[in-house]
Amino acid sequence: MTKKYDAIIIGAGVIGCPIGYELAKMGYKTLNVDKLSDAGEGSTAASCAIVRAHYSTVDGVAMAYEGFKYWLEWENYLGNVQDEKGLAKYMNTGSLLIKSQGHDWQKVKNNYDVVGVQYEEWDVAKIKEMVPVYDMHEFWPVKRPEDPDFFKEPERMLEGALFCPEGGYMSDPALSAHNIMRAAEARGAEFIFQAEVAAVRSENNRVLGITLKDGTQIDAPVVVNVGGPHSHKINQMAEGVYEGCNIKTKALRHEVMHCPSPEGYDYLNDGYHTSDGDIGCYYRPEAGNMFLIGSEDPDCDPQEWVDPDLFYAGKESSYRRNNQLTAEQWQAQTYRCARRVPDMAIPNQPRGVCDLYDCSDDWIPIYDKSSMQGFYMAIGSSGNQYKNAPVAGAMMAELIDKCEKGLDHDKEPLQYTLPHIGRQIDVGFFSRNREINYNSSFSVNG
Amino acid sequence: MDKTGVLIEMRDGKLKPSNLAVCSAASRGDGECIALLLDDNESAVGATLQDYGVDSVVKIEADDRAIPWNPEAWTAAIMQAMAHYGIATLLGLASVKGKILLAGVAAALDAPLVMDCTAVDLDRHAAVKPQFSGKALAEFVTHGERHIYGLRPNALPAVKAPRQSRVETFQATIGSSRTTVLNVRKGASDRVDLTEANVIISGGRGMANGDNFGILHECARPLSAAVGASRVAVDAGWVSHTMQVGQTGKTVTPKVYIACGISGSVQHFAGMKTAGLIIAVNTDPQAAIMQKCDYAVCADLFDIIPALTRKLQKTAD
Amino acid sequence: MFSTFRDFVMKVVLKPTRQVMDLKIYVCVKHVPDTAATIRVGTDGRIDEDITFIMNPYDENAVEEAVRLKKQVGEADVVAVTLGNDTAEATLRSAMAMGADRAILVRSAGRPDGITTAGALCAAIRRDGPADLVFTGRESIDAEGFQTMFRLGACLDMPVASNVVAFALEKGMVRVTCEMEAGDREDLELPMPCVVGAGKDLNQPAYPKLPDILRARKKPVTVVDQDQLQVPPSTSRVEMVRLETTAEERHPKPLEGSADKIADAIVRILRDEAKVLE
Repeated sequence: MTKKYDAIIIGAGVIGCPIGYELAKMGYKTLNVDKLSDAGEGSTAASCAIVRAHYSTVDGVAMAYEGFKYWLEWENYLGNVQDEKGLAKYMNTGSLLIKSQGHDWQKVKNNYDVVGVQYEEWDVAKIKEMVPVYDMHEFWPVKRPEDPDFFKEPERMLEGALFCPEGGYMSDPALSAHNIMRAAEARGAEFIFQAEVAAVRSENNRVLGITLKDGTQIDAPVVVNVGGPHSHKINQMAEGVYEGCNIKTKALRHEVMHCPSPEGYDYLNDGYHTSDGDIGCYYRPEAGNMFLIGSEDPDCDPQEWVDPDLFYAGKESSYRRNNQLTAEQWQAQTYRCARRVPDMAIPNQPRGVCDLYDCSDDWIPIYDKSSMQGFYMAIGSSGNQYKNAPVAGAMMAELIDKCEKGLDHDKEPLQYTLPHIGRQIDVGFFSRNREINYNSSFSVNG
Repeated sequence: MDKTGVLIEMRDGKLKPSNLAVCSAASRGDGECIALLLDDNESAVGATLQDYGVDSVVKIEADDRAIPWNPEAWTAAIMQAMAHYGIATLLGLASVKGKILLAGVAAALDAPLVMDCTAVDLDRHAAVKPQFSGKALAEFVTHGERHIYGLRPNALPAVKAPRQSRVETFQATIGSSRTTVLNVRKGASDRVDLTEANVIISGGRGMANGDNFGILHECARPLSAAVGASRVAVDAGWVSHTMQVGQTGKTVTPKVYIACGISGSVQHFAGMKTAGLIIAVNTDPQAAIMQKCDYAVCADLFDIIPALTRKLQKTAD
Repeated sequence: MFSTFRDFVMKVVLKPTRQVMDLKIYVCVKHVPDTAATIRVGTDGRIDEDITFIMNPYDENAVEEAVRLKKQVGEADVVAVTLGNDTAEATLRSAMAMGADRAILVRSAGRPDGITTAGALCAAIRRDGPADLVFTGRESIDAEGFQTMFRLGACLDMPVASNVVAFALEKGMVRVTCEMEAGDREDLELPMPCVVGAGKDLNQPAYPKLPDILRARKKPVTVVDQDQLQVPPSTSRVEMVRLETTAEERHPKPLEGSADKIADAIVRILRDEAKVLE
């Protein structure tokens, strides 16, 4: 007998789980399906889980600032549910945005002013006082270590940084998704795992439900694509949906490095999350007193767009495209960080995480309906939406509910009021039909 | 007739059981199998060895007594015995001492050597051994006047092949060695490095607290295993992060990985997936690791691990 | 007399070791696949080298000890040597970033076995030397042949100490502690020149900072083809006839019954299947 639900959410990662949660709170009978064995085991597990407010658009800043409230009051957000695995923890380190040529920080500052984000402007002297290990010279433009100019002596000092006291990271992103799943289950949501979607069924351009790889058919009038790096493949399963998006998504390979903190510096407890456009990196503390070093995709770094299935199976065409760290990128990211932190000692063996972003054409997510009635998508997180997960969940639930009740979101985009900060955002900003948004930073900064 | 030598190893005055499989491997075929014994011993080692195909046991001495342990002196003595008895093929254990002696002999004789064999075919002068931490298996053929093979302990079966063996003594002439053994200290350290261990027993959320890791340490001892942990145990403050296995911990490549109360999250699994054999002990049959292991034990680790420890201690005695 | 504590240290503690000046220390290193790398075998029977390579981890301990020794004696030439193809230069640069002064790359011809490798390293060291000390890692994590160090010793006519976890140079003699079975340790004394195989516990490698890495780029690497060296010929060789990867798929088998029954089953698996019980 075919099971029936009010809504099927494809994906139980950190975006899929809150969507299930919020819909369940609204009374929907929801089912999240995921092909892996537990919540948050896909690209969510590899997320740097950084919580910060700097975005190049006002709506980006607003959404992120709203998100803080959820992470800060995690137990509340979860409805005080118990999770046998424990709760993920928010580590508030504070956040430094280096004023650099690599980052339009003035735009960010203006956005902060508009939204009301708390911040201070730190000059170099202040930074040296707070972070004695940083060398605040300007190393711009970002280079690769193979470039003979990489080790050129710097000539100028940077201006300083914007410091946000609110900012940090979540200790265990996979666990955070698991927590949200437990919260959703407490509200009646269901989850099934090792359940791979093979088809999205529809009739007369209305979604009917899904079919799993093992043949199981599940019906629902609402199906939401939250498939992460596989999002484009899922959109292609629903007739006309992929073609009906002006903004497309693809999987982008990323390497994140873990390098020991310099001797004598307790980065874990004393350090700040830092967005350092001057060297094309962002970094935050990681367990074991490590620097977790992510890349801001500077122009000099090759971008590898891969097939997610081949990538995860380690069967892509070359090692620069597979799911193992490369010596070249290990050196690129650690050496760049070591320019800022000169006392950093760099091991020979690469250590870190290699995974995928579900990247949209302009690095802004797609939170939208589709050309198929009942089929929605929360995709294109582009490495910058972990922090917005709870907000995205609530916003998508509202979008879905309104659309199902007759809203023509394409014609009259939903205006969503962010409950905590009270600001309204135009959900049309995230439309699949938008033209490429050139205000975007076209990077993980969003 | 081809003579095959077996380098016998003893420990604490007793014959190591793993020698018997080496004898079996050496005695397959028509040639004479000669056991070479350098350890000082009173026990009737010959009686045991002859049950496993050994034709003669040669006690190697110098000046009518056992040669005190010295890698150079022992290597020289083995070479002299090989020359004296016409031994063209030498087998031994890929144990710590075996790795020193067999390689030393091979080097001095300029003879080919395959170390850590999991299979040998003496007729073809062929041997199979793992490479790349067990990710690959390589087969070699040795070419030369003599052939030397170090067998992985217990990789091959000990097969009974009773012979009537004689025991004799060979007096080697040992000059002065450049190396001096100053002293030997019995092992106190039962701490095995996580990245070097053959066996790792790891604990996760199911351990419930740091004290309970004592159960794993007890099990690790008879196994000469290292004790590891998942991120959960480290984050909870139960154990030091130096014990963490996983993407943000160490990448382990042991022959056996015993995961206790570990769910097998993608990050932990990435750090242990190259392990040869994975045994998972978890009360949750749905835990991810139960699908990704070789042996799934759906039971309480607090029952299983102490029982395992008892069995291992009994086996060791 | 001693004017300061430092004076005392220099004259009494360090003086005996400083009798040995201008040490020539060689460190044999190997460029090997990362432990996390996927091993695939091509149709030519060789592994696919389109993967991440690193310095053999035990060789890091060897380089570290050589560099520490140099600091201790004050005057020494630490030379990293490797047999490999051009990509192995990266490992030589890593060694120099860790403090080696210069490096020698012996470009390999064909597929060297342990005999050829030792012969080539020996010839390169003899040509450059003479050596006072040769450090290397106690084993390589790729081929795991467990013999190069001993053959090197035989070729150079030097005694060998393996799995060294403590090292000291006193009055021209080398004192080492070797880790034996089950935590046993033995102390050996060897004259120089000798070959020392470094174990993991020998030291904690100090990794390079950027200035060290930059300096290493400018340090000299001598490249010589294996065929150009007087590699001592051998009538022996070890020929690889087959290489295959081991199965990746795991098919879980349940172990059921009482705790005792399961424990018995596990012991059987450990002994007969995994073969890890002595």
